Amino acid sequence: MYLELAKRSFQQQFAYRAATLAGLFTNSVFGVMLSSVYLALYWDKADGVSVAGFTAQQTVTYTWLGQALIMPVVFWGWWLIVDTIRTGTVVMDLLKPMDFFRFWLSRDLGRAAAQVITRGVPTLLIGALLFDLVWPESWQRWAAFLISVPFAVTVSFCLRFMMNLWGFWLLDHRGISSIMLVVSGVFSGHLLPIAWYPAPIRDLLNVLPFRSMLMTPVEIWLGQISIVHGLSLQLFWTTVMIGASYALLQVAERKVVVQGG
Amino acid sequence: MPIIDVHRLEKTFPIKKHRTGAMGSIASLIRGDNGGEFTAVNNVSFKIERGEMVGYIGPNGAGKSTTIKMLTGILVPTSGEATIAGLVPWEKRKQLAQKIGVVFGQRTQLWWDLALIESLELLRHLYRVPEERFRENLATATDLLGLGEFLHTPVRQLSLGQRMRGDLAAALLHDPEILYLDEPTIGLDIVAKEAIREFLITLNRDRQTTVLLTTHDLDDIERLCPRIIVIDHGEVMYDGQLASLKSRWGGRRQLIIDYAGDPDAAIASMGNGDMAVTEVDGPRVTIAFDRDEISAPDVLTRASAFGEIRDMSIQEPEIEDVIRRMYDGSIPAGM
Amino acid sequence: MDKPITLREELGIAWKIAGIRLRGQMAYRTSFWLQIFGNFFTNFAEVLALFAMFYQFDTLGGWTLGEVALLHGISMIAFSLGDLLTVGMDSVAPQIRSGDFDRVLTRPLGSWMNAATSEFSLRHLGQALQGVLVLGFALTQVEIAWSIDKALLVPVMFISGIALFMALFTIEAIFSFWTVNGVEAINAFTYGGSDLAQFPMHIFGRSLRFIFFWIVPVGFITYYPALYLLEKPDPLGMPDWFVLLGPVITTIFCAVVSWGWNQGIRHYRSTGS
Repeated sequence: MYLELAKRSFQQQFAYRAATLAGLFTNSVFGVMLSSVYLALYWDKADGVSVAGFTAQQTVTYTWLGQALIMPVVFWGWWLIVDTIRTGTVVMDLLKPMDFFRFWLSRDLGRAAAQVITRGVPTLLIGALLFDLVWPESWQRWAAFLISVPFAVTVSFCLRFMMNLWGFWLLDHRGISSIMLVVSGVFSGHLLPIAWYPAPIRDLLNVLPFRSMLMTPVEIWLGQISIVHGLSLQLFWTTVMIGASYALLQVAERKVVVQGG
Repeated sequence: MPIIDVHRLEKTFPIKKHRTGAMGSIASLIRGDNGGEFTAVNNVSFKIERGEMVGYIGPNGAGKSTTIKMLTGILVPTSGEATIAGLVPWEKRKQLAQKIGVVFGQRTQLWWDLALIESLELLRHLYRVPEERFRENLATATDLLGLGEFLHTPVRQLSLGQRMRGDLAAALLHDPEILYLDEPTIGLDIVAKEAIREFLITLNRDRQTTVLLTTHDLDDIERLCPRIIVIDHGEVMYDGQLASLKSRWGGRRQLIIDYAGDPDAAIASMGNGDMAVTEVDGPRVTIAFDRDEISAPDVLTRASAFGEIRDMSIQEPEIEDVIRRMYDGSIPAGM
Repeated sequence: MDKPITLREELGIAWKIAGIRLRGQMAYRTSFWLQIFGNFFTNFAEVLALFAMFYQFDTLGGWTLGEVALLHGISMIAFSLGDLLTVGMDSVAPQIRSGDFDRVLTRPLGSWMNAATSEFSLRHLGQALQGVLVLGFALTQVEIAWSIDKALLVPVMFISGIALFMALFTIEAIFSFWTVNGVEAINAFTYGGSDLAQFPMHIFGRSLRFIFFWIVPVGFITYYPALYLLEKPDPLGMPDWFVLLGPVITTIFCAVVSWGWNQGIRHYRSTGS
């Protein structure tokens, strides 16, 4: 059944053609812009010099991976669950004989899979046409990257899931929205490579789960981390985040029952 | 000179070919839409004198809203003329706005996040109503519509009836000469409907405000509008007194008789042109008759031949029936 | 009351409307400050990125932290105030869809003014405040030899910047008169434009430069004024008087947008959707 849900969300995504084209355009403009900015930072450096572990070429690759994964992984506001709370359908969903978390997760994975195809791959191809990107050095790395993306989506989903439950308590998600933006924008490494931040910030971000959303997949792609290390790190954080989501869900469900919805 | 003078007004809409996306929109910007046309309002003419209260009625999609939108200056007609309070609405939209009040029943012109009084205050500035006049109008509206209890409540917390009263007050702040009401009582309970109707009658009587009202609620029409204009498929089908519509075309009254037991089966064939049995349901028999041809006591006398009568009642023709029959085509258009 | 309304009266009304709406929002003081704080916090990431980049690198396309911060400050202030003044434009698309846009046309105000004032929020002050702080920081880092012409340039620069972003946000609304799909492509120019204007233009490739100088002229609102203030030669080799092109091109751009808005309104008034 969860597979069916995922499949349906997957198919749904292909209906939004105009939005997809508009989104690709926007991602590409930002990709070119950010690449230009990063390359300008390396102007006074010799070719191949790396700064905090990144050569110019690697930084540009990081930029395009970031743009390509924006839609699949979702780095900003996503309040679908809060919306169902507002419309009241959440009560129906909770009453259905299914696992509420898996219900949403399967739909989200289906959506993400579709967007890897409609948004991720094309964005990366545009980047490759316009810039000289670094490609994974072996088929094992390609495979590892492909495995690391669903992990990234799941961690991102858990974060969004918990933010939504939290929004349920506060009834107004605008405040959390800005926290969410910073957590998923900065903490994931989407804004800047985590290695570039000053030591205390960098060290903190490195021990938080959110780097699994982008930084770890990028490191796997670029060969900055061993495959086993990268994937096991993601596996660990995915497990932790799923556990935390279930714990929070339990508290939330109890509250729904007490309030009678 | 009539305050509303509409002459051969016509509005056709292009039937949209579906173009999607920014590119599509640019394409339609340059080339324009072309995919056939649909006539929403066709050759509509009428005149309304100052101080009249007119019902503008018709089924969904008949062209009521389109007409109102042209008369408020929102839409530009395809052809035809109109003068509202001396202005051509689509040419002098902003000036006309000062002279008309508009209430769309399903939408509010108040601001959701502001208290009602703040919304009114805002509209005061928007319509440049002098402070003193604003106070007077607010006092009158508060008095007649009972706004006092929720004047300081945010609009989003108002009930539908309260909101509608607030909207009416808002539409009248700048002393408009004409008030357009689009479904003013939709979704309201009977008490609220009655309050609104009462208010409109007072307004029309005391200030001579001209009111043009579209509604699905035929009780509104019966209570408020001596004159109605009926529109269907974009064309005016009837324009005249509600009373004469009813008496001339309202057709037959109905006499409902309850017999003590089942009446003689022969009753079904009773009457000869002046009356007819329309329904036999056990002891209850419905007879339609034309009051110009035969009086109710006569009908009753003849009906008593078929059994012992226990109870009876007379039903006047209802405006719903009249209009339904008009739409069915059983009343010639334009009469 | 039969006289047509003048622009001055419209502005006066808009000002009063803003006042009343502000008072309304101040009634919920915590929520008000939370929104401004949230906006400040959200945009903090932008500033954080700037400082982190210069933590690792010394220059960006040959420009120092202070110089790039100057661009950031100008762009953030212009963008946020432009956004603040046209918040109502965001609601044009939903209003058209719901039919509430009719309301805008039954009022005695110009349609643009009416749409712009249909919504008002001060939350963008958070970003503006941040822009001011970044600008203040920049001014401590760079040497500017102030003169009368430079002092005159500052207000011109801000006014044309704000006007340009107001026009950009209006474009988004204009498109919604025709289509509901794909409007988000405009984000590449609004948000993309403001991001781009935070960096020196010469670092971008020919096509981006072409787009952001000559189609969406955000390049003119920060880059040339900054060069002029800093007395830096233009690496793109354009003459000094290019600094004057900003206001001129912005005026042309605004004129085109206002033509587009009127076309949109005309379209709406002939099709009702």
